[in-house]
Amino acid sequence: MAIDPRPVTIIMVEDDEGHARLIEKNIRRAGVNNEIIPFTSGNGALTYLFGEDGSGEVSAHRHLLILLDLNLPDTTGVAILEKVKANQHTKRTPVVVLTTTDDEREIQRCYDLGANVYITKPVDYDGFANAIRQLGLFFSVMQVPETA
Amino acid sequence: MPISSKGFARTSLALIIVGLIALVGIVGTAIWLVERTQGHFEAVVEARETRQAAVDLRNLLQDAQSGQRGYLLTLDEAYLEPYGAAIGAIDAAYERVEGVLAPYPQTEQSVRGLRADIDAKLTELAETIALARQGNVAAAIDIVRTDAGETTMGRIRSMLDTVIDVGDMRIYDGVVEQRGAATALRVVALIGALVIIAVIGGAVLLVLRYTRELDMATDAVEILNRDLEDRVAERTVDLMRANEEVQRFAYIVTHDLRAPLVNIMGFTSELDAALDPVNALVDQYPEDSDDPIVVAARQTATEDLPEAIGFIRSSTRKMDGLINAILKISREGRRELKAERIDLQALVESAVAAVHHQIDESGGEARIDLPAPPIFTDRLALEQILGNILDNAIKYRHPDRPIHIDVDGRQESNGRIVISIRDNGRGIPGEDHDRVFELFRRSGNPDVPGEGIGLAHVRIMARNLGGDITLQSNPDHGTTFIVTIAPDLRVIARHKA
Repeated sequence: MAIDPRPVTIIMVEDDEGHARLIEKNIRRAGVNNEIIPFTSGNGALTYLFGEDGSGEVSAHRHLLILLDLNLPDTTGVAILEKVKANQHTKRTPVVVLTTTDDEREIQRCYDLGANVYITKPVDYDGFANAIRQLGLFFSVMQVPETA
Repeated sequence: MPISSKGFARTSLALIIVGLIALVGIVGTAIWLVERTQGHFEAVVEARETRQAAVDLRNLLQDAQSGQRGYLLTLDEAYLEPYGAAIGAIDAAYERVEGVLAPYPQTEQSVRGLRADIDAKLTELAETIALARQGNVAAAIDIVRTDAGETTMGRIRSMLDTVIDVGDMRIYDGVVEQRGAATALRVVALIGALVIIAVIGGAVLLVLRYTRELDMATDAVEILNRDLEDRVAERTVDLMRANEEVQRFAYIVTHDLRAPLVNIMGFTSELDAALDPVNALVDQYPEDSDDPIVVAARQTATEDLPEAIGFIRSSTRKMDGLINAILKISREGRRELKAERIDLQALVESAVAAVHHQIDESGGEARIDLPAPPIFTDRLALEQILGNILDNAIKYRHPDRPIHIDVDGRQESNGRIVISIRDNGRGIPGEDHDRVFELFRRSGNPDVPGEGIGLAHVRIMARNLGGDITLQSNPDHGTTFIVTIAPDLRVIARHKA
């Protein structure tokens, strides 16, 4: 990743700070050193992604990867996913849904809306840590397109 | 005021009795009046006969006398012809008069006088005619001139006239009475007819009113019935909604509980991992160090912290198990039920076949007796219900008895399908009959592994199928689970929509 002149920024939308910390720790353990910007509320993330005017132009030419929890206090992760995939500046940004919800319909819905990966947080920590590390390894090899 | 059926019967009976009395009165009076008319008629006929007889006798006597007078005046034999004819008929005529007067004893005297007078008159007539024939007309006329014959004739005439007058009077009375009887008959018939018309009118009114009230009552019952059915359907839907609500709640709660659990486990692991550098640090001090800080730190790092972490881990694992169990149930509740036509017999047979091996091993048997009404329900849910109950029958078998399982089915009058599964297992004590359907609650000696979610799950599924589950149990004979389900899940789904 270091050779990439425009390193990928990981946007982490996660209201549970404990989860956010554990995710970050495990991604780092996998050797991923990209910048991680955490948001504990949906609106904060939306402002970052689409700017104050909501047009999404602020994200033009950014290299982003979004880690999204579905259960948020102010809005739902699904709503964020919908907006990201509907906006021309952010629609190619990979979105990884990482949540406790393992409801079939919810998973289908996320994929229908254009989610790239859907991961259920396993409750046992080893499984969780392992999944995040795998995700980190996955990040290190995946190609993230520049947003238009 | 509504008419009770008893009141209706009583009133109609009273009306019928009144009508019957009126009818009997009319018929009785009519018969009595006809009898009386008959009597009057006979009396009139008799009076006429009496009168006729008296008239005939008088005429005959007058004919005889006229003939005698004519002969005496002319001595022409021709005048004796009517005399002869009259003389011949007088006896018969007298007998008729005697006959018609016989029933009246008070006339006996007069009749006897009449006979004497007639005999006297006839003797006088015969005597004068005989004298005239012998040419002794003067002697005959002398006899006539004595007026004895005329006097006798006058008595006879007045006697017969009396009889005629009495006869006339009786005829007149008879006619008058006849007319009175006819009037009475008319009046009685009219009154009777009025009574009967009133009774029939009353009865018709009563029947109409009663019928109308019956109709109204039937309508009311029908409306109530329909309302009741609607209410039952509504309640069923309400119950299922409440059930769904609880399941949704459980689902949300479990998810929200999971998030902190991830943190607890995660940071416990982090703590565990953090012990390694601490241990390394403590290990830098000699093992026999007397420094109380080092001793305490070593104690903490090697015993206290690992022990605490171990307890946190085992507790979280247990909690995770419970949450997963709730999640499993709530997920089942959220599953979209699919109503399809089910062959109950085949479904139960395949469920029993799944435990056939264990039943055979114990030397027992399974018996299935089911009705085959068309049912539309969710196959998976019904299979899980039966599977769970049958598994329990095997798991909680009585150690000393070969397994016997009876599956009986019937359809209740309200359409519900009732399936009872009877085993001969170790039974469930009375105080646990409700408890076994609760989540994480189990009955009896926990020698058999289990989480205590099977029957809770079964109950939720039975309720989702528009039914419920109950049990009857006796530790000596085993347990019977009674599952009711709605015959057609589509109807409930329609109500819900």
